[in-house]
Amino acid sequence: MIYVIDHEDSFTYNLVHLLEGFSPTYVSNYYDINWHQLEKSKIIIFSPGPGNPSHYPETQKVYKKYKGDKKIIGICLGFQQILYGENADIVPQKKIYHGYQSKIKTLKESALFKPNKVFLAGRYHSLKLKEPFNSSSLKITMRCVESNVAMAIEDTINNVYGFQFHPDSFLTVDGKFLIQKVLQL
Amino acid sequence: MLNNKEYLNKIFQSNKPLIIYKTIGGYDVYTDFKEKITLNSKNFKNFLNKKTSQSTSPIKELNCYIGFFGFQLLCENIKIKIPKQQSLNFYPGLVYKPQTIIKIRKNIVIKSLLKNFRQLQTSKPENKYFYQKKFNLNLDESKYSNLFKHFSKKIQLGETYQIKICQTYSNKSNIDAVSFFWKLMSINESPESFLIRDKDYSIISCSPETLIEKKKDVIITKPIAGTLNRTKKMTKKFANNFFKKNEKESKEHNMIVDMERNDLSRICKTGSVKINKLKTVEQYRDLYHYVTEIKGRLKKRITNHDIISAMMPGGSVIGCPKINTIKLLNGCEKLNRNIYTGSFGYINANGDMRFNIIIRSILNYKKRAEISAASGVVIDSKPKREYKENYIKAKSLLDLFKT
Repeated sequence: MIYVIDHEDSFTYNLVHLLEGFSPTYVSNYYDINWHQLEKSKIIIFSPGPGNPSHYPETQKVYKKYKGDKKIIGICLGFQQILYGENADIVPQKKIYHGYQSKIKTLKESALFKPNKVFLAGRYHSLKLKEPFNSSSLKITMRCVESNVAMAIEDTINNVYGFQFHPDSFLTVDGKFLIQKVLQL
Repeated sequence: MLNNKEYLNKIFQSNKPLIIYKTIGGYDVYTDFKEKITLNSKNFKNFLNKKTSQSTSPIKELNCYIGFFGFQLLCENIKIKIPKQQSLNFYPGLVYKPQTIIKIRKNIVIKSLLKNFRQLQTSKPENKYFYQKKFNLNLDESKYSNLFKHFSKKIQLGETYQIKICQTYSNKSNIDAVSFFWKLMSINESPESFLIRDKDYSIISCSPETLIEKKKDVIITKPIAGTLNRTKKMTKKFANNFFKKNEKESKEHNMIVDMERNDLSRICKTGSVKINKLKTVEQYRDLYHYVTEIKGRLKKRITNHDIISAMMPGGSVIGCPKINTIKLLNGCEKLNRNIYTGSFGYINANGDMRFNIIIRSILNYKKRAEISAASGVVIDSKPKREYKENYIKAKSLLDLFKT
């Protein structure tokens, strides 16, 4: 069972539509978490959404509680929420990527994806990870070819993953493969 | 006895309540309403799930409720409260049960449940028609620009990715809706055009946008995002190139496509949501539009209310993400949108439905005519251009008052 915490985004169900192809998926709003259902789930997904990670203390609570116990995957805002939970700064970027298709490159740090692969992905974010960012377990595993902004993270020790771009967007080429890889079911 | 054409003209000239809806190859006129239901947030769900399936008529086309849902009703339906606004106290939503349909194609065909429909008395309108040429606009350019800057900041902060600022033109008029409607159709016929004329109000619209087309378990939506002012020398090919090369228009459109895929995914079978036709150009009198068609197969046990709640209000006329963007708009819009960005259409007793997004419309109520238009603020928008785009969108309607 996958549990998706929805931050009331208009893209969450694109993601759910993909996930349901792999495993039964339960969705709730971030302000209406079913803790019993969450406890039973194997994977927790933080959905995209508006605003910045500090607006969602409930999701931070979930992250702190289950990090290391369950696989946690964050998409867009969800990606930033994981980083925020690791004391990173999430800051506005000069160029804003809403509905933008970018070239993304996988790095040698990735345990899941072949290095130096370039692919197209859809982006919806005005904020980004402020770097340098250092973590003992969390690695940046993809970057935007053009701007070098962090696009994916992997923490294989704690089983935490995230994409800044949207694997669920029609602008992402083969987002289904990316989701399948990260779910590893 | 009057032939079909004479009969149709007679009811057009009377004050008989009627509805006209554009369809492929012509128009359908619905009249002789047996029932009229005012919808509100309390009876809406029950109406959609129970009432709509109860009607059984031997004439297939009359086995339906037809009417409109206002913007506020659709917001309340998805649990978004609208704060106190300046309001006409217009109906939140109205649906009608017709007993006669007149199909205007090459010939005029009439089907009715009433034997004597031709003998029914019609009366002349009681009020005199009049209209003003000039309109008042609720947001002038400087107010518009301020709002624009306010929302641009929200985009930078990630609180919205795209937001549509709405402007409303209004004047004192009591229009002859049917003649206005045919005048509008002669200059700007659009696939989702419609008219409602009742005793105390009328609506005419040349909406281009289909929100829901549902037959059996297949559902289609055709969001529009992207507008180009059409000049005399311009060709469709030029418009196509413009949209393809214009990064701002492309991004705006991409966002709406992903949002509508999302809304369909809420109610459709896993893996069934597909883009049918991506980014095609449609041509109208004053403008070109950029349109995508998305299709899905409904999950089992999805109700009419589930469908309406997932799809309405239509995202392309609000912005993205839907919920937070409506909340941002509500904090700033002083005037009730009434029908604007609501939805008009019908639900058949067998569950088939067709609904549009109410845009390019005139609402005439209490001797006041109002026309609204909205265009999107994304990060690369310019206030002057978007302000002008609103005018272009309203222009073919405003022009009706000039002659």
